Amino acid sequence: MKRIFTLMLLCCRCSTLALADPGAPQEAVIVRMRLVVCPGPQHSFMMALSGSARVGPQDPCPEYTLLTEKIAYIVIGRASNQLVPLAETTKFRFQNREMLIRAGDSNHESHFMIKEMLLRSEWERVQQRNDAEARVISLREQETDSERNTK
Amino acid sequence: MLWRLCALAAPTEIPEATYRTKVSEVRVTFSATDRYDHPIANLKPDDFAVVDREVIVRNFRSFTRAEFTQLNISVLIDASASVTPHYREEILQVIDLLSRTAGVPEEDLSIASFRGLEAMAICKGNCRASHAIEQLPNSRSTGLTPLYDTLISAADSVPQNTDPQARRVMILFSDGEDTISKNAASDAIESLLANDIQVYTISPGRGDNAFLQDLASATGGRVFRLSEGASKVAEAVLSDFHASYQITYKLPYHSTGFHPIRILPTHDLNLHFRCRRGYYYPAGRQ
Repeated sequence: MKRIFTLMLLCCRCSTLALADPGAPQEAVIVRMRLVVCPGPQHSFMMALSGSARVGPQDPCPEYTLLTEKIAYIVIGRASNQLVPLAETTKFRFQNREMLIRAGDSNHESHFMIKEMLLRSEWERVQQRNDAEARVISLREQETDSERNTK
Repeated sequence: MLWRLCALAAPTEIPEATYRTKVSEVRVTFSATDRYDHPIANLKPDDFAVVDREVIVRNFRSFTRAEFTQLNISVLIDASASVTPHYREEILQVIDLLSRTAGVPEEDLSIASFRGLEAMAICKGNCRASHAIEQLPNSRSTGLTPLYDTLISAADSVPQNTDPQARRVMILFSDGEDTISKNAASDAIESLLANDIQVYTISPGRGDNAFLQDLASATGGRVFRLSEGASKVAEAVLSDFHASYQITYKLPYHSTGFHPIRILPTHDLNLHFRCRRGYYYPAGRQ
């Protein structure tokens, strides 16, 4: 019960922070990028059945993690070529539940689907934990290697 | 206890100071071209960012033009590909253009060919087009093509690069088809990556071969077709050699294993960067 309440509180806080003025331009820094499976169209199942959609392996789509002062956003592009410049600061705004990221100095905006949003402090805690775990695994592997060498 | 030892040592001689630091630093060499594939000579560190295992790195410890003074070239010819007189002539032209270039001493150019299960060193360390002309295969070999195995043995036969000013390049003349190798295509690419060899591929056919594309892209090289001409290939190898950059940065994520890297622009999306696909971070390095 307590967990559910905390989650609800977090969601409310995120939405009030992020969507105070959704159309207003904001600034963030892109800190992570990876290529993931592209999100399918909303009616992909029906389209696949009707033969109008391409079924099978596709080129991956870019997924970015953007940090604002208080929120971390994870967004996914809808096409493989939807790359944005990795400048120090990135301008974006919200429109119809999507994030519109400005591509460089031009006025062109690229549409991204919002996959996840969480408090920046929470995101940073997760990253620190992941890095600490990676260090521990690396040390364990070293110990195993040295044990093998001594035997 | 430590204090006492220091105090005892002090009056007789001043011990040499030894500073030890455990730093995990990544060094990447890359080249940059514009939308017309022209090399960029005035790149700045804020023009690009590195994506190292998903983490974006913008702060570099160093950024310099790569001061390569030596180019070690090994030419590998797949004799099972179409060795027409035209193909033979183009191979010789590429070798000739490269060997006449300043910065490529004779001892740094090696040529080998393979047909069937046999690899043959045409010349090692004394290669000039005039030397190689007699020994280049005249006829097309039929039968088996162990391309991946040959690439692995060729990569392993190149001595370890201890000179930071030497760049190692392989020019592969092949159609990219393999028929019998024990090893997989990924093993061949991994072996070339581990030996820090940049591969330029030249195929006789018109179509694009997926393996050749993958090989060149993984090692930071390029793909050419023979129809593009020997001069274009030689020019690309040399312009990459002369217009390369080197960056170093702090390891962003202490995870062992392969760290894929990509270099992407920060402002101008027309810039293209070529570098090796990644590096291995060994266990236990903290």
